[in-house]
Amino acid sequence: MSLIKKCLVWDLDNTLWDGVCLEEKVKVKPEVSEVIKELDNRGILNSIASRGDEDLAISILKEHNLKDYFLVPQINWLPKSQNILKISSELNLSLDTLAFIDDDEFEREQISYMLPEVLTFKAEDAKYLPDYPDFSPSEITLEAKARRSLYQAEIERKRAEENYKSRKEFLISCGMKLNIRQMKENDIPRVLELMTRTHQLNTTGLILNKDELLNLFHQRDESLNIDVVELNDRFGWYGIIGVVIYETDKPLWKLSYLAISCRVMGRGIEKAILITLVRKAYQNDFKIIEADFSDTGRNKMMRALYQMSGFVNEKNGKESKLIKFYADEQKLSRAPDWVEVL
Amino acid sequence: MINLTVGIEENLLTYIQKECLSKNNKILPGFEDNLFDAGIVDSAGLISFICFIEKEYHILIPDEDLLPENFTSISVIAKYIRSRQKNI
Repeated sequence: MSLIKKCLVWDLDNTLWDGVCLEEKVKVKPEVSEVIKELDNRGILNSIASRGDEDLAISILKEHNLKDYFLVPQINWLPKSQNILKISSELNLSLDTLAFIDDDEFEREQISYMLPEVLTFKAEDAKYLPDYPDFSPSEITLEAKARRSLYQAEIERKRAEENYKSRKEFLISCGMKLNIRQMKENDIPRVLELMTRTHQLNTTGLILNKDELLNLFHQRDESLNIDVVELNDRFGWYGIIGVVIYETDKPLWKLSYLAISCRVMGRGIEKAILITLVRKAYQNDFKIIEADFSDTGRNKMMRALYQMSGFVNEKNGKESKLIKFYADEQKLSRAPDWVEVL
Repeated sequence: MINLTVGIEENLLTYIQKECLSKNNKILPGFEDNLFDAGIVDSAGLISFICFIEKEYHILIPDEDLLPENFTSISVIAKYIRSRQKNI
């Protein structure tokens, strides 16, 4: 399956504009400008890895009203592979979700060699990119339209953290508010998007297509629940950042699926969600709390989450891909106290 | 490479300072402090930390060992590393 790219990294000279900006007056190619805006509208981010003078390049982008479309632009004299790694870490996006476009064959080859996960494109292909499956998400959600500003808020959070003496002090200052609510029909596109985009904080790797999810949605009843999780803080709205599917049949409460956006990694949100759900189940008199985990090769974090939160797995002697975890009320750890649950 | 003159605890603290905290962070965790309650490490951070420990100390950490009794504070992590080194 081809993975939808999350960010396209642009070269500037002879790619974004015709000519070399240090030598001549340049103008952004009109068709390229259209592509940048179209990808942005689809929730695909744009960034820059280019050699050159940063101030000059930024001023040209400003003239064309394009500056704000680019997140964490890297314009310097460092190797582009290094700049792409920086973009990947600043945006917290894995390399296989990045693509790179450059007119220079040497640069493209260099990236393919150093960072084989990054897909590369020739500058002359720019205008066709919106037609490629790599840049064609099946649905455009509210989160996708807002994605650039969501990432921008995230960059501001990172900057704000520099002003605090401790991590905890910073986390408390964010004022994170979590809302776990029933999924509504108009949440479906975002839920599908989360299922396809989320690989690491995903307990089973389940991916449903639209019809399958709709089916499941119409089957909801007392015993089958699909919830979504929204998060806000003082920097803004994160959007729907989590999906939870759980089945209930007293005394059993079973967490079949939990996926959480990688955008919220690093602030204990996954634990806040899990502990909140489990505590609520205990309050509602469920005695057995079970949670499915399936090893996808990329989701070790979720296994760590269960185990570090006080879940134990049934030991059936052999290691299988599907593991059933059980909560132990005595061992259940505390939810992070910097997250308020609404 | 393992720096033999530095204790495991100090080495883990250096990693935390470099990888988990911002540049201006002034309050470092004590060896006994719970890293999860302090918001310094979470499930995602733990996986990167584990990778570092495995490389740094040439040990393999089985998934079953990712438990609160082994990974909540610098001192229990150091104790766990020592016990794994003995088992080689």
